Amino acid sequence: MPTTLTYNEGTLLLHGLSPKGIVGLFAKDVWKWDARVGLFRTDAFRYGEVAEILREKLGTSFADQVPKPVDLQWPKVDLHKPRRDQAEAIDAWLSSGGRGLVVMPTGSGKTEVALHLMARLGVSTLIVAPVRDLMYQWHARISAGLGVEAGIIGDRLHKPSAVTVTTYDSAAIHMNSIGDKFGLLIFDEAHHLPGGFYRDAAIMSAATLRLGLTATPERSDGRHVDLDWLIGPQVYRRKLSEAEHLAPFETVRIPVKLTDEERECYDSASLAIRTWYIEKRNEKKDYDRKDLLAEANHDIEARRVKNLMYLKESIEDRADEKLRVLEDLFRLHPQERVLVFTGSNAMAIDISRRFLAPTILSHTMKKERQAVLSGFASGEFPVLVANQVLDEGVDVPAAKVAVVVGGQSSTRQAKQRLGRILRPDGATRATLYEIVCEETREVERSRKRRRSDAYERTRHRKV
Amino acid sequence: MLTSEHAIVRFERGLALPDRLNRKSDGHYVDLAEAMLRVYAEGAGLTRRDLHRQINRLFDEEPCDARRIASFCKLLDDASTFHTDSGGKAARLRLKVFRLAARKHPLVTEKQGGTLLGELENEEQEVKQEIAAELGMTWEEIDEALYADVMQFHRLKTPPDYPDAAALLSHYNVSQTQAALYKTQSATLTAKEDFKTILRYVKLAGLLHDIRRVDESTYRIQLDGPASVLRTTSRYGVRFATLLPALLTCKGWRFAAKIKTPWNTLATLDLSPESGLKSHLDEPPEFDSSVEEGFAKKFGEERDGWRLVREGAILNKHQKTFVPDFVFRHNDGREVLFEVVGFWTPEYLKAKLETLKAFSDQNILLAVCENEGAVEVFEGWTGQIIHYKTGIKLGPMMEALNIFSPKGT
Repeated sequence: MPTTLTYNEGTLLLHGLSPKGIVGLFAKDVWKWDARVGLFRTDAFRYGEVAEILREKLGTSFADQVPKPVDLQWPKVDLHKPRRDQAEAIDAWLSSGGRGLVVMPTGSGKTEVALHLMARLGVSTLIVAPVRDLMYQWHARISAGLGVEAGIIGDRLHKPSAVTVTTYDSAAIHMNSIGDKFGLLIFDEAHHLPGGFYRDAAIMSAATLRLGLTATPERSDGRHVDLDWLIGPQVYRRKLSEAEHLAPFETVRIPVKLTDEERECYDSASLAIRTWYIEKRNEKKDYDRKDLLAEANHDIEARRVKNLMYLKESIEDRADEKLRVLEDLFRLHPQERVLVFTGSNAMAIDISRRFLAPTILSHTMKKERQAVLSGFASGEFPVLVANQVLDEGVDVPAAKVAVVVGGQSSTRQAKQRLGRILRPDGATRATLYEIVCEETREVERSRKRRRSDAYERTRHRKV
Repeated sequence: MLTSEHAIVRFERGLALPDRLNRKSDGHYVDLAEAMLRVYAEGAGLTRRDLHRQINRLFDEEPCDARRIASFCKLLDDASTFHTDSGGKAARLRLKVFRLAARKHPLVTEKQGGTLLGELENEEQEVKQEIAAELGMTWEEIDEALYADVMQFHRLKTPPDYPDAAALLSHYNVSQTQAALYKTQSATLTAKEDFKTILRYVKLAGLLHDIRRVDESTYRIQLDGPASVLRTTSRYGVRFATLLPALLTCKGWRFAAKIKTPWNTLATLDLSPESGLKSHLDEPPEFDSSVEEGFAKKFGEERDGWRLVREGAILNKHQKTFVPDFVFRHNDGREVLFEVVGFWTPEYLKAKLETLKAFSDQNILLAVCENEGAVEVFEGWTGQIIHYKTGIKLGPMMEALNIFSPKGT
């Protein structure tokens, strides 16, 4: 009986080799005896390594029954000639056997590198992106660059095809059933891969060609070392300092007041919350938000206080005055494209219904998303509202004016992303407006803190 | 089904205890459940958001975890139907409206009369009325339809089909247990009955089993997934959750799942038919066919030293399993497996023969129906066989049974 290798739900099974027969063929621990099926089993990511050994040692008595990845002919390749650093990355990955990590700064054309490699290899490929926006972006780039409509797994769709785009979530969930369908895996923003469950996306696939793309491979939990076997070694690294300079922009902070009604609601909620904490701290000195949330699970009063906390956040988030400030900002920039980022779906929809501007929400479907983005790029839509500072690398058309409604622009990543979206126009600098509620005690305190450091140069202006 | 975000699990002395409402301490939940069902029954046309607000209000005086309320909302939603705008009507309306409005940007509350700036502005209400006129709808209709595809704005079409409050509460209990099972790494099922149903659903759930006989009538079935032999993983948790409703219809089992806790330790979730969980599925029929039922009645419990046990054994080899319809056990220790082969397609019969051949070292007696070409297929069977037309006759049956020699000979 020949020795055969099969793919089984994200693993490999070895048929026809007894525990004795396997001795000496493989390093210890590569195969595990699975008494449930009476066969040796190992993870699918080892496919390349074990198939080679079996071919070498057993010759014709080895039958490889793991499906061969499909070869592809690209209908129409339309890619720019790679820049020098891109060409270096391509060569480095190819000469290290088609496994490895390419580290380049965001905005330096990592996608181009991947598309060139896909064009050259012509093999069934799965692209794994962190979020749906990016997944759709890959879809568009593949269509434009290689002339292929890629399949999609994710966003409630399950349409696999020889070239498929997906998210880490969906890839990890479905890899046991699609892990024998692709010859090349591309992990975009690959530093996400080693986290928890996501790694199944690499472990359960038999693909021998693996490309990881990232600007920041290092993880604070140290698990980036696993990228070595999940994808491959770092084969190319271009430092951030060599990258193009980010567009400089001016930040203008606009404090808004709550309406009398909101104010009243907000203040009475604040008072109730404060009173609650004071009373609780008489019993337990370090009583904090975490204690409150735990208590809310079995105490009606605590739950009311918790709901008041949410009410305050919601009042701040959706303050009426923010809409009025937006009106003034639109007036101020009537001829310009304005990007608006909100902190919630609810606020994005409020703005959209008030100003009749299109939105990109987390659940916006592909067709509408593309119509909205291209409409904004062409100037058909003067305003675009999104419910978050769009995720890393999403192809948002450049704009000169962005408005962040809420405080989420202060993280470093958000600043970097905004830096790529906001482009200067000739001599005039791009502007980022931040609309935040003032005269809420918390905000005032935090503003004092901020004045001392990062926000030093931020202008405060009443509109 | 609930998601893992809905799961409320207490961990106590190594045990995982999913949230459970019981008749004694939570009796008032019957009223709450009735009120919840009323909200939905009277809520046709309301949005999910409004329905959920009403449900939340019902819990104003009930101290409980917010996830419990969210779970009820989810279960009620899942059992209802909503207008979901799956055809993309709202998205098309949005693009149409926003394109018309884009030419009038910015929409202001009030024009700043006389200034140059004022020339470039348009009044919000005016523009909205213009668009409404152009589309032949009122603005209120447009505003309501504009985001009708957003989940929380879906409007209720038909209310949930729970027959009564008790059904909703019992489904809540099962659902919380399922949600706790999402973190299962492996489980042990000790079974004394209903082997066929259990193994059928284990296979449907995509779980692998390792089966050991503990004593004459008890089997221990170790359950996990393909990759579990390589590393511990909870990726098969969903499969355990889907197994639960089927398991609850069976009798004579104990289930112990190893659950990953938030502190990365393991806790045990223990279940049995006595746990008080009720399945929405029907109980499996006691007999597969009337031939079996008639035979069991005719034979009685014991005859000539042979006891008759329904589904009394599991044969198992590398995921191939076979549960014979009956087992005959003799006082002297002899055991004969008895399978009734009735009306089936030739393909099914051939597959059955293949399975049986894998266990040909066992004492197996077949009763094969004389019609439908079954006889032909089973000519390939080298073991004991009797034939029957409408019912199995006891005479030839006992004769065939006694051909199997006592233990050790």
